[in-house]
Amino acid sequence: MIRTGFRPTLRLTEFQLLISPGLLAIVGLLMIFLVPRGLVRWTWGDIWVSLAFAGLALAISITFGLRGFRGDQVLLPITATLAVIGLLMIQRLHPDLARLDDGYAALAQRQLLYLGAGTAILWAIVMFAGPLRFMTLLRRYKYTWLLLSLALQGATFFFGTEINGARLWITLGPVQIQPSEIVKVTLAVFLAGYLDEKRELIGSSWRVGPLSLPPLPYLVPMGMMWAACLLTLVVLNDLGSALLFFGIFLVMLYVASGRAFYILFGLASFAVACWVAWLAFARILIRVQNWLDPWQDPLDTGYQQVQSDYALASGGLLGTGFGLGRPTLIPEVHTDFIFSAIGEELGLLGSLAILGLYFLLVMRGFAIALRAQDGFVRLLAAGLSAIIGIQTIIIIGGVIRLIPLTGITLPFISYGGSSLLTNFAIVGLLLHMSNLPRRA
Amino acid sequence: MPTVLRSVAFVLAFSLIAFGLGTGDSVSDARWLALLGTAWVLLLVATRVRLPAALPSFNRSLVRTALVLATVFAVVSAQLVRIQIVQSEATVNRSATAPNGDVVANPRLGNRDLAVRRGEIFDRAGNVIAGTERGDGVWIRTYPDPATSYVAGYYSPLLYGTFGLEATYDEELTGQAGNNPFLRWRNELLHRPQQGVDLNLTLDAELQQTAHDLLGGRNGAVVVTDVETGAILVFASNPNFDPNALFTSTPPENEEASAYWEELNAAPDSPLLLRANLGRYTPGSTFKTVTAAVAIDEGFAAPDDVYEDDGDIDIEGRVLVENNRPDPTRTEWTLAEGLAWSLNVVFAQIGLEIGPTVMWEYGERFGFGSDIPFDLPVAGSQMAGSREFLDSLNALADTAFGQGELLVTPLHMAMLTATYVNDGQMMRPYLVQSVETQAGETIRSTEPEVWRQPISAETASTVEALMVNAVENGSVQAATVPGYVVGGKTGTAETGGDDPHSWFIGFIGDPEPRYAVAVVLEATEGGQAGAVGIGRDMLAATITSCRPD
Repeated sequence: MIRTGFRPTLRLTEFQLLISPGLLAIVGLLMIFLVPRGLVRWTWGDIWVSLAFAGLALAISITFGLRGFRGDQVLLPITATLAVIGLLMIQRLHPDLARLDDGYAALAQRQLLYLGAGTAILWAIVMFAGPLRFMTLLRRYKYTWLLLSLALQGATFFFGTEINGARLWITLGPVQIQPSEIVKVTLAVFLAGYLDEKRELIGSSWRVGPLSLPPLPYLVPMGMMWAACLLTLVVLNDLGSALLFFGIFLVMLYVASGRAFYILFGLASFAVACWVAWLAFARILIRVQNWLDPWQDPLDTGYQQVQSDYALASGGLLGTGFGLGRPTLIPEVHTDFIFSAIGEELGLLGSLAILGLYFLLVMRGFAIALRAQDGFVRLLAAGLSAIIGIQTIIIIGGVIRLIPLTGITLPFISYGGSSLLTNFAIVGLLLHMSNLPRRA
Repeated sequence: MPTVLRSVAFVLAFSLIAFGLGTGDSVSDARWLALLGTAWVLLLVATRVRLPAALPSFNRSLVRTALVLATVFAVVSAQLVRIQIVQSEATVNRSATAPNGDVVANPRLGNRDLAVRRGEIFDRAGNVIAGTERGDGVWIRTYPDPATSYVAGYYSPLLYGTFGLEATYDEELTGQAGNNPFLRWRNELLHRPQQGVDLNLTLDAELQQTAHDLLGGRNGAVVVTDVETGAILVFASNPNFDPNALFTSTPPENEEASAYWEELNAAPDSPLLLRANLGRYTPGSTFKTVTAAVAIDEGFAAPDDVYEDDGDIDIEGRVLVENNRPDPTRTEWTLAEGLAWSLNVVFAQIGLEIGPTVMWEYGERFGFGSDIPFDLPVAGSQMAGSREFLDSLNALADTAFGQGELLVTPLHMAMLTATYVNDGQMMRPYLVQSVETQAGETIRSTEPEVWRQPISAETASTVEALMVNAVENGSVQAATVPGYVVGGKTGTAETGGDDPHSWFIGFIGDPEPRYAVAVVLEATEGGQAGAVGIGRDMLAATITSCRPD
């Protein structure tokens, strides 16, 4: 049964949960402006940003209720909390970064713009996806999404702008977009459609002598994905996206097929390929070196990682407090290394709390997948949640030197338009899917 | 998976992480990563729960994925604990050398130090030696008195760290030691400046100034100690440095400070090497007091024992010429006269009588070859480069009158002198009288303490009398201070090519000796007169300014 018509509902849980990120935004921004300067006086002008964001979040919740939206009530508060922390961090880094480089002069304003646009996308998806039969569109044109993914990655290769040795951006007039951020969503949409369609083949397998090989519909995309991810790594030097894409693929394949063997085989073969790449390419060797011991070359290749280590270590348990650390000593602190800034200023308690929020977000997404009736929706919900989880692990793991560092954004927190817009779109899609008919 | 196996895997994973967290020396050393990887695999086993058979395949895989994700988040959390808590101190203070030789350190350290209201250092009368003043968002270190400043050392948070008392007492001065831990925690939480505790020194700024006036820019050192306690009243060294010029609180000041630093390090006479505690000199004839003490303490000789000195002595074919006899026609001299007139031939014979074994043993008792416990690092004194050196008769004879391979610091000579007049007790020297919070609460107070007793009280008083005799009847009459009992001994350290260094050690009392002095003047043309004059005036100034408490 598909609900139609507007039957307003009370989204009290969501509304209540949104109060804490709202207060966090206001108090946090006051701290950022007042504490480092030793001021106690403030004006509404200092915190209009936070008031606007808190108001926006509450307004969204209310319009959802008025619209009769009966979906998940926890996703939006978690997303809002993460976004607020990102907003505060960028507001806090902005003056310091702007002093270092004129290029950062509009950093905070741009981030606000992206945040507003992201929120708008989330809102629009939830409000209008139903009437537009969004899920049907997504499912029906799955090969279009595949082509779009390939085209975007191809365009990055041919027309991409190389920054810091990695080709991740396409410049379109005044804006730079990061195609891999879009591709991660279109890829998940394609895989959900494809794997759902081939679902019946799960039981079958090929027998070659004693070996039991996956059926062709799994084997072919597996090989293609494997090759595409390796190309991303080698040609674009984008280890982060390669890992992310392959991770999404493996999770969705496993969820669809239920066969751990495919995953282990996929992981092992990708690991071998990475190892070969490590031997073959000096820049990957440097990455590994910086992961294991950046102190060998603390001024050149290891500089960023060493500074990040200093920042995280000086945070300790409680952190220095907002605005009282020196995270801007780390190059690219507002994107790849924003987690180090959080670690320094909010301490272990803050960094663990944020980790916990991401975990909750993913689990909530999985819960939506579990409850969904439709096979495509289930796979898509699982895939989109996995994107957030895997991306978080890849970048945080890299920053804290658990795995080699990769240039990828921390969802909702890092500076960057493409990243914010797509991650908000993911949450919008998850919210929409949570409101679809459920399994009994 | 059976529940038992899962529980074991969980406990094992937890223990591995706990063990790994506590060990290893780097955030991501290979061992820790291997441990963590193993723990992760164990966690995967531990979370492999039995799922109801009725669960659809899709749900089953999704639950498994969620559990795997949970283990990964657990591993990430463990690494966060390691980087932010366990390895925090080590990483914050870690420095590394780049391939081009530049040293990289945590840029936060300097500013963290500057945010601390560093404890102040005062002389015995409460004069500021190292002060703390409020600057623009930071605390500025000042050293108002050039005569005492370098005794505090330097404090250069942005560039060169700490040195001297600033280094020895860094924990106290930054408030890490001595303060209430709860207050520290509260200050940290509320971002209030940490308050260091203050040091009250035994140093007397006025006497220190006198010492510098007497040195008059010549290289050398003056140390004055209270013989009964070991408290250091004067600790003057030339050359020295201006710690004000090494303190910086903002990067623009660093250039000038670095230039001064380069200059200090390039200077041929090494101003950072404070002569009083770090300068090692040949003691020359001042060491005859030690030789006399050893001979008397071991019963080899008494003050009235007579030795033959007819102007030279032949030791294994080497002729040692005597220049110091006041009367060239006399050939027989007592030990007392030998010390009073500094007769090398007499002391050569005494040294040979003592023999290498006893000589070396007494050297160890007097602190040669030991680290002298003090508030500043002290260069080690040596009787000889090795024990075997003394096996040569000529070497033994040379050592007995203060040459050979002997090396001593002025501080050590002052301590030796004080030992003679303090019943043979060698006191532990100290500069810091007490450590006090800014609220005036005394945290720690230095109690005088006997470091060693190298000789008996009787021997000590005999040597004391010999030194008084040297001033009253011998060659050190220039050291006389009317109205007081003064004992002393001069020395000349042959340095090979340049002009010799000259020494004076002595004590003053009214009549019980109370202060001992050691003076060394580098490469002085005028001979011993300079050192004796400084010593005498220093002793006179000390006893007149420091009335008994």
